Amino acid sequence: MAILGVDVGGTFTDAVLLEDGRVSTGKVLTAQRQEESVLTAARAAGAREVQRFAHGTTVATNALLERKGARTAFVTNAGFEHLLHLRRQTRAQLYRPCADWPEPLVPLERCHGVHGRMGPHGELEPLDLASLPDVEADAVAVCLLHAYRESGHERAVADELRRRLPHARVVASHEVAPEFREYERASTTAADAYLGPVVARYLDALTGACAAAGLPQPLVMRSSGGVATPAEAAAHPATILVSGPAAGVVGASRIAALAGIEDAIAFDMGGTSTDVCLIAGGRAERASERAVSGLPIRLPTVDLHTVGAGGGSLVWRDAGGALRVGPQSAGASPGPACYGRGGTQATVTDANLLLGRLPQRLAGGVELDVAAAERALAGFDPAAVVDVVNAEMLHALRVVSVERGHDPAGFALVAFGGAGPLHACELAEELGMRTVLVPEIAGVLSALGLVAADERRDAVRSYLVPLAQAGELPREGEADLRYAGQSFELTVPLQDTLAEAFHRAHEEQYGFAERDRALELVAVRTAEVRRGPSLELPQAEPTQLAGPAVVELPGSTCWVPPGWVGARDGRMLRLTRA
Amino acid sequence: MTIELQILGSLLRAIAEEMGAVLVRSAFSANIKERRDCSTALFDERGRMVAQAEHIPVHLGAMPDAVAAVMAHDPQRGQVWALNDPYTGGTHLPDITLVSRTEAGFAVTRAHHADVGGREPGSMPADSRTLSEEGVVIPPTLLDDDAVARLVAQMRNPDERRGDLRAQLAAHRLAEQRVAELCAKRGKDAVTAAMDELHAYSERAMRAGIAQLPDGRYEACDVLEPIAGDLELRAAVTIEGDGVAIDFEGTSPQHAGNLNCPLAVARSACFYVVRVLVDPDVPASGGAFAPVTVTAPAGCLVNARPPAAVAAGNVETSSRIVDVVMRAFGQAIDVPAQGQGTMNNVTLGNERFTYYETIGGGQGACPGADGPSGVHVAMSNTLSTPVEALELQYPLRVERYALRLGSGGDGQHRGGDGVMRELRVLEDCRLSIISERRAHAPAGERGGAPGARGRNLVNGEPAPGKLTRELTEGDVVTIETPGGGGWGG
Repeated sequence: MAILGVDVGGTFTDAVLLEDGRVSTGKVLTAQRQEESVLTAARAAGAREVQRFAHGTTVATNALLERKGARTAFVTNAGFEHLLHLRRQTRAQLYRPCADWPEPLVPLERCHGVHGRMGPHGELEPLDLASLPDVEADAVAVCLLHAYRESGHERAVADELRRRLPHARVVASHEVAPEFREYERASTTAADAYLGPVVARYLDALTGACAAAGLPQPLVMRSSGGVATPAEAAAHPATILVSGPAAGVVGASRIAALAGIEDAIAFDMGGTSTDVCLIAGGRAERASERAVSGLPIRLPTVDLHTVGAGGGSLVWRDAGGALRVGPQSAGASPGPACYGRGGTQATVTDANLLLGRLPQRLAGGVELDVAAAERALAGFDPAAVVDVVNAEMLHALRVVSVERGHDPAGFALVAFGGAGPLHACELAEELGMRTVLVPEIAGVLSALGLVAADERRDAVRSYLVPLAQAGELPREGEADLRYAGQSFELTVPLQDTLAEAFHRAHEEQYGFAERDRALELVAVRTAEVRRGPSLELPQAEPTQLAGPAVVELPGSTCWVPPGWVGARDGRMLRLTRA
Repeated sequence: MTIELQILGSLLRAIAEEMGAVLVRSAFSANIKERRDCSTALFDERGRMVAQAEHIPVHLGAMPDAVAAVMAHDPQRGQVWALNDPYTGGTHLPDITLVSRTEAGFAVTRAHHADVGGREPGSMPADSRTLSEEGVVIPPTLLDDDAVARLVAQMRNPDERRGDLRAQLAAHRLAEQRVAELCAKRGKDAVTAAMDELHAYSERAMRAGIAQLPDGRYEACDVLEPIAGDLELRAAVTIEGDGVAIDFEGTSPQHAGNLNCPLAVARSACFYVVRVLVDPDVPASGGAFAPVTVTAPAGCLVNARPPAAVAAGNVETSSRIVDVVMRAFGQAIDVPAQGQGTMNNVTLGNERFTYYETIGGGQGACPGADGPSGVHVAMSNTLSTPVEALELQYPLRVERYALRLGSGGDGQHRGGDGVMRELRVLEDCRLSIISERRAHAPAGERGGAPGARGRNLVNGEPAPGKLTRELTEGDVVTIETPGGGGWGG
């Protein structure tokens, strides 16, 4: 059986083909048309008779970042038309009065109101469909107040719009994110409508191109860490906004599983940014909301924490005299000074080279120019540069572990991305972590995650009732609970002793529980999961190694500092503190 | 700065942020949870702020007085002290500040509680004349279970108050644990040295920035709108080398209403202006403000003496201090036009519920950009309460919530638009509104037009800017917030 995963990134498109226990990889530059890169990368990996093909894409993310989605209209209750523009009334930056948030996806002139009103417990004023103005747009987002539970009016408005605008894409908020807090729900709905036509066009083109090339219909990675059919992804494209990074987390959890490890932290350090995610009990931590391009997206996502620093981040000194790294990056072009492509500003990669942690020549054939790195880093201590970027990484790793009540000492660090394996051991040491796993294909791990990903369909239902009155709940899934009167929720797995599980979780997170206080059930989240293929990677006779050592891998380099030892078995390096 | 100290500094900042996250997520009232009207910070042994989770600028410069007030009582490890007395370390009564000792210095949390007793539900009366009318005055008090019970018994919704205090206590427990871990791992000396360096680093950055400003003395005045007449605020800004002195000589004496504030609040507002104009990115520590001295005659509006009432001082007078100090700097350098200059405080409640909100408006335009619309300007930055959360939890209905299109002042760059918010009450209750810029519009800068004045209405009838009254079921309160001034003619 041959399984193919192709992950399209900003600079490179990576492919991994797993066939009869053999792994082959491909890495090509990402072209303007993503579907072309997908096929080129698949060919580079040698894909021919493929049974399953899964895909990670940046099409949705790019359309949102570049504001290249559909001409979208927004419909809500009369009197609340400006909802998307009012946001939550905070300013973008505390001490920069005129720094503004990114422009909303729908301009004011296409924000409309309809008369009629639902309250939290049913209809307050009947819906008057005749008051719905003419809407001119290619996509329409409908979000009426309290539709997370009382969706009657919203349904009727969406039906009417679909009748009036048969060619437009109409999305109602209860269909995509039926949860309370109207701004976040409206923002998610608007993004979903806005991205619809772009993503549908792309997935149509890709599906056609795959059929022509003899590949099966592509499954698409969603932010949740599970794949779905192209039709499902096109129906709700806001679910694929962190497609690629989610695939990386899946890859990391599978590598940890192969090593017999259930608790790990995925650490994906690329050229311009770094994503970290906690994996507990073999499952990636999940969140129900994430901001993308300044817009809240209320949809299930692997709980990634992202830092704007990576191997290509520029090094500089601020007005107070402190050494700083990022968020500006040398990017793929010109790249770090030592790549000899015209870059003159110092980057983290240049510092690693001067510290002897990179080979003279990278796997891709790039000769590294030590003299250029020295010129760029004049006046900076390369060890200090690495310390500063490591401090940023440490902060990110603490956010996903310590700050959420997990002691990192019990976790393994799974390092991947071009720069992750260079920094992993020092970070692990700092956090008291004993084991570092570096996949042999650390440079293309996201594509491996695609190969192994489960199919997954998430659903959420809002309750907002006292837990005692919630009735029968699904057996499996998660419940968002809070003390009556609180307004943020804690998510706990569904179980017979749900109330006690919540008290315990509250105690763990905040240091106190109020067992006498009534509980409120806010929402129940369920997922239908179909297990992905089991991952059998070719194993070789383990070879031992001891730091200090530089281990060259395809697409990345691993630095093993003194005091660390390990074994390399063809699937991964398993490093431990001596 | 050595890398070791730089890294320790970022770990200390991370602790302050984690305290803030714990406080917000475990609190009970919408005011702390949904709106995040709270701040958390770490101080060193000498009572200097070293790291703060930045939520609300008005808390920024006013916390050191709270730490000093508690230090006078020789607090011990394991104790948590509470206060809200504006004349011993507080700002206005709803802001309850907790201070505890850590292995190296102090942890501080400050949260705006939805009610602290007093005459009016919500403890933000528009017409109070003395402090005692505004709620329970808490001098520095050791906060044990008995003290908590005694305090919340004097407030409305004691269960919610207890829940919010416990959330603050949870943040303190966390800070004590994290600072102790840090000292155990890195050594207490290194942590103390890092605190010194955080302080020194911010001071260096700020002084370097101030040194770029033209030396001189620059004066300005502006007005506040008490229930009757106007009150005058006067500021003189003296820039000399790498330091700034701001003095409020000539400001109206404290008055019989509640627009008075302690000097700590004036200091916060001055620090805000200097930070915006000099270096928005400097890490928040006491050092950033070491180059700025703030003085005001004792007994004047911005350096009030007991028993003056202060409910509006923290929210409204602080906004006007920003305006007047900004205007004085405007004679030396380009500054933004005036923003809405008010927080539009609305409090609704009876013996069963209390609800407090502040409403965003127009930001003044900047030399290079339009002012954003519908945001909190200057000293506040609280989130709005979602309509759905509000209607689920309180006997209130939101009838309209919209931008006031066109209310921003014209100019080369436009001021931001204000907001209109309309609430219907579903039970008999009391209403208090504390708002400003209902009589005097936010000014434009360099020839830009002023923003529109704000307006309050009850059942469609114009209502004053400061108002406390009874409402009956079905009454509708409409708040139209001011637009920001334009920049450039």
